[in-house]
Amino acid sequence: MTTPVIRTRGLVKDYGRTRALAGLDLEVQAGEVYGFIGPNGAGKSTTIRILLDLLRPTAGEAEVLGQAPAAGGPALRARIGYLPGELAMPARVTAREQLAHLAALRGGRGSERVDALAERFTLDLDRPLRALSRGNKQKLGVIQAFMHEPELLILDEPTSGLDPLLQHEFLDLVRETSARGATVFMSSHVLREVESVADRVAVIREGRTVDVDSVRGLRARAGQRVSLTFAEAPDLAAFEALDAVRDVRLEGATLHCLLHGEPDALLKLAARSRVTHWAARDLDLEDLFMDVYRYGPDGVDGANGVRDAR
Amino acid sequence: MRAEILTSLRRVLRDHRRGFAIWAAALSAITFFYMSFWPTMGQAMVDAIEGMPQGLMAAMGYDRIGTAAGYLEAVVYGLLGPVLLLVHGIALGGRLIAGQEEDGTLELDFAAPVSRARLYWERLAAAWLLVTGLVAAITLAVLVSNPLFDLDVSPANVVAAGVGLWLLVGGFVTAAFAVGAATGRRGLAVGVVAGLAVITYVFRGVANAAGIEVYAALSPLSWFLRPDPLANGLDLASTLQLAAITLVAAPVGLWRFRRRDLMT
Ligand SMILES: Nc1ncnc2c1ncn2[C@@H]1O[C@H](COP(=O)(O)OP(=O)(O)OP(=O)(O)O)[C@@H](O)[C@H]1O
Ligand SMILES: [Mg+2]
Repeated sequence: MTTPVIRTRGLVKDYGRTRALAGLDLEVQAGEVYGFIGPNGAGKSTTIRILLDLLRPTAGEAEVLGQAPAAGGPALRARIGYLPGELAMPARVTAREQLAHLAALRGGRGSERVDALAERFTLDLDRPLRALSRGNKQKLGVIQAFMHEPELLILDEPTSGLDPLLQHEFLDLVRETSARGATVFMSSHVLREVESVADRVAVIREGRTVDVDSVRGLRARAGQRVSLTFAEAPDLAAFEALDAVRDVRLEGATLHCLLHGEPDALLKLAARSRVTHWAARDLDLEDLFMDVYRYGPDGVDGANGVRDAR
Repeated sequence: MRAEILTSLRRVLRDHRRGFAIWAAALSAITFFYMSFWPTMGQAMVDAIEGMPQGLMAAMGYDRIGTAAGYLEAVVYGLLGPVLLLVHGIALGGRLIAGQEEDGTLELDFAAPVSRARLYWERLAAAWLLVTGLVAAITLAVLVSNPLFDLDVSPANVVAAGVGLWLLVGGFVTAAFAVGAATGRRGLAVGVVAGLAVITYVFRGVANAAGIEVYAALSPLSWFLRPDPLANGLDLASTLQLAAITLVAAPVGLWRFRRRDLMT
C-alpha cells in the first residue's frame, strides 16, 4: 500500500490538565474523501490543528504526506488547503485584498482562480470583511482553501454557515477536487453532511477513534426498526432471545425492535400469534451514528453494529 | 511554492496605515504646539520653577527647563514623545502577534507556507517601520519649529535625540511583541511591558531627585537622557545600551514562539 496521506498513531494532546486527544489513530489514503465525525469537544479541531503544525502533539505521532507536520514546515503546508472551524477575518480589508494576501503567502498560487470561485459562490469581493455575514465569510474560507488546487484539503466543519444551495455547491466542489485526484479530509458533527461525498468515515469521541467504516458499510450495518402489533401482548423474552434482534420494547400490544440481518426468525416467531399490524423502516445512518455518539466504542460491536445499550 | 517575500510585512503596514497617519499627524502637531510656547514661556518657566523644591523639579526633569535644550528635553523627549509613543507602541507590539492570534485573524497566516521565524521577523520589522515613521514625524516637527521659535538647538543633536528615542521606543515595542509572541497572551504582554515602562519613569525620577545611581542604571529612559543628547549629540555607550533591549528581547521571543502551540 502507498503511504497514507494522513496517518496518526496514538496521538495524544493535553491542554494543561484537559486531555483533548487520548491516543487517536487515523489513516487516510491518497484520493479519498474522508469524513471526520464527532460531537462537540471530541477533538476534531485539535487533530486538524496538529496536522497543520499549529499545535504540537503531547505524545504519539502524526504524519501528513509522509512527513511530521513540524518537520515538513512551510513546504509541507504549501501542499495543503485549510479551512478553519472558526474563521476570523481582519475587519478592514476587502475579501479581494484578503485573498490576494493569502495567495501571496503561497507564492502567488491561486490568485487566478479567485474570480471564478467568487462567482460560483456568489461572493462580493469588494466589500470590507467586516460587512460580510457569517455565511459570506465561510464562502471566503472555502475559496481560499481550494483556490491553489492543493493535493490535500483539510476542512474543519466546512458547511457550517452555508445555506442548502451553497452546501450543495460546496459538495460539488469537493467531488470535482476529488476527481482531479486530491485527498479531502473534512470534519463535521453530523454524518448527513458528509455521507453523500465521503468514501470513508471515522467517528471520534473523547479523543479516540470509535469507528471507521465506508459509508456503504455503515449503511449495511444500520439495519431496520420493526414494529409488530399483536392481538394480545406477546412474550417479550422469546423475542429478546432472537439473535438478529435487539432493543426489544413492548408498548401495549405493540412490539418494537431493531433488526439486523435476515428477518426470517423474527417473522416465524411473530407468526405464531395473530399480528394485526406491522411496519419496518430502514434505520438511517444518523440513528446508527447517534448510538456511536452516545455510547462510544462499547455501543458498537464488530459483527453486528449497534448493540442495545438502552 | 513559498511565500513571496515581505508579504507579512506589507500586510501589517496595510492594516495600520490609517492609524499611522493619524498618529503621525497628531504627534507632529502636538510637538509643534509645545515648541511654539518656548518664546513666550521660556522666561516664565525659569521664574516659575524658582520657588519649587529642587528635588521635585529634578525628578520631573525640569531642572534645566530654562534653557532651550532643557525645555525641549523636559517637554518633548522626556515626556510627550516617550509617553505617547510608548502607549501606542506597546499596544501595537502586543497586538501584532498575540492580539491577532487571540482574535483568530492570524490563523490562515500561521497555516500558510511561511515559517514562524519569517512571520515573526517580518511583522517585527513592520512594527519598527511604524515606530521609525512616528519618531521621524516628531523629529521633523522639532527640526522645523527649532528655527521658527528660536530654540537654537543643533539639528544634529535633534537627530541624535531622535535616534535615542527611536531605540528606546523600539525596544519597548519589541519587548511587547516578543512577550506576546512567546506567550500568545496580549494582555500579559502589554501589562508586563507597560509596567516596565512605568518603572522606567519612576526609576529615572528617583535617580534624578535623590541621585541614586543604581536607579539610573536600571532605567532605559535614563540611558537615553543622561548623556544629554540635545547638548552633546550621539553617545555611543547609551545607544548600544538602548539597542540591547531589542537585541535581547527579539531572539528570546522568537525562540519561544517557534516551540509553542498557537491559538490555544
Ligand atoms: N485552547 C484550549 N484550552 C483548553 N482546552 C481546550 C482548548 N481547545 C480545546 N480544548 C478542549 O479540548 C477538547 C477537544 O476540543 P476540540 O476543539 O478539538 O473539539 P471539536 O471536536 O473540534 O469540537 P467542536 O465540534 O465543538 O468544534 C474539548 O474538551 C475542549 O474543551
Ligand atoms: Mg472544532
